[in-house]
Amino acid sequence: MARVLEVQGVSKRFLGLLALKEVSLHLEEGEILAVIGPNGAGKSTLLNVISGLLRPDGGEVRLLGRPITRLSPEARTHLGLGRAFQIVQPLPELSVRENLLVGALFGKPGTSKKAAEAWVEEVLALTGLEARAEAPAGELTLLEDKRLELARALATRPRVLLLDEVMAGLRPKEAEEAVALVRRIRDSGVSVLFIEHLMPVVRALADRVVVLDHGEVIAEGPYEKVAREERVREAYLGRGA
Amino acid sequence: MRGILGLLLLFALLPFLPLGAWGAFLLDVGLFILLFTALALSWDLVARTGQLSLAHGAFFGLGAYGAGLMVPHLGTLPALLLGSLLAGAGALLLGSVTLRLHGLYFAIASLAFSEVLRTMALKLPFTGGPIGLPVPPPFGGGWPLASYYLAFAVLLLAVALSLWAERSSFRLAQAATRQSEAVARVLGVRVVRVKLLSLLLGSLVAGLAGGVYAMKALFLNPYEAFSLGRAVEALVIPIFGGLYSTLGPLLGGVVLVGLEQALRLWIQEGYLVVYGALLILAILFLPRGLLGLLGGRRG
Repeated sequence: MARVLEVQGVSKRFLGLLALKEVSLHLEEGEILAVIGPNGAGKSTLLNVISGLLRPDGGEVRLLGRPITRLSPEARTHLGLGRAFQIVQPLPELSVRENLLVGALFGKPGTSKKAAEAWVEEVLALTGLEARAEAPAGELTLLEDKRLELARALATRPRVLLLDEVMAGLRPKEAEEAVALVRRIRDSGVSVLFIEHLMPVVRALADRVVVLDHGEVIAEGPYEKVAREERVREAYLGRGA
Repeated sequence: MRGILGLLLLFALLPFLPLGAWGAFLLDVGLFILLFTALALSWDLVARTGQLSLAHGAFFGLGAYGAGLMVPHLGTLPALLLGSLLAGAGALLLGSVTLRLHGLYFAIASLAFSEVLRTMALKLPFTGGPIGLPVPPPFGGGWPLASYYLAFAVLLLAVALSLWAERSSFRLAQAATRQSEAVARVLGVRVVRVKLLSLLLGSLVAGLAGGVYAMKALFLNPYEAFSLGRAVEALVIPIFGGLYSTLGPLLGGVVLVGLEQALRLWIQEGYLVVYGALLILAILFLPRGLLGLLGGRRG
């Protein structure tokens, strides 16, 4: 299988703090990969480096075989990278439909208005937001916000989708629905890398898990294997647990 | 839309309305309304990307001096065009170094830009320096209504650009850039390009307004042409009328510039005090401007 996303030896330093220390990982085509780790492990920093909101101090990021380390976030989106934020950031003065339309119109340059509008209708249906399409994005419930975040990333027609704790704050039933939605997205041909704190979600969704601690990859593999590893348990529960 | 057309029609016909003894005064008021409303719309065009420009006084001044210096050599329309292009060149220069800055930082940089240009207008050998620059009227003064209709044409252009930006997909690019740059970029919006294009279009209109102003005022000096007061007026009008729209700045321009001219006539000393007090009241009680009264929606 082809590697659609590759992170090679990426480091990122904030003042004195080494947030990422030569992190390497990859995402296979059609795979759902979870990146987990305790708070402050560097997960969101990693996503920001991949999506281009932060420049790494060293290392390389490749998307569909192309180096993208020096590209702007918008150029990465044009090449097929999608991103949903942890802290939901709706464009509050636009309606839900307009929020998606931004992604559909500008996510791939040269998309006609008609094609973008048709695609937005599909995404609205897929994410269950049809009934709220005209609502101002600033007036959504938390659940709807989360769906919008996912839908908007999807609207850019990504090949690789980065999800930053999109399940946080959801009730178990809602999280289950979201898990099913992410599976549908994968089945439509999108490879998914997601960050998550909720272990039931990780177990249910991830084909493979990468564990970060203090900016380093400390374990990698299927959920069952990773969860048994001593270093992982220590990272989560502290030494001596 | 009907409101916009109605206002434009009123301005098109103003010189032919039976205004009696007030005719000449009202026509002058109308001309200033046209120019400063065009300037306000050109400011709003930039504000829609979330950039607070204090450089619109400078674009206006560049257009005024550019046109004023060229009119004797090239004639009216080429001079206006050159003045506008000069303002556009200034905008590209300012934008290429500052548009990576956000909100307030861009505002400060644009203020500094205005100060530099005023100093240049004072010191350069061909601008007339502090003494000022006499400017001939448009088309050699042969047609009394020329400056009025030139001002009308500038406003038409400003309205057309504003409507285009409001109705095309450019609106979504601008709105996304304004509401969150990070989100806009991740959604694929080329934010620097959107901001630069908005600033360029805005500066071209502001430069045209300045050029027509020069031919109406017949005399320029750096303090007046590059005044910060003009930059402030350019932003007060849209805020008063309703931001991020075409109708808002139009309404704001008619009411505020009209009011300013009328107050100047009625209360010669201290009209600015009354003007300021009215503005404060408007900001306190009409947070979304005049458009808020009409139930207009922002976006």
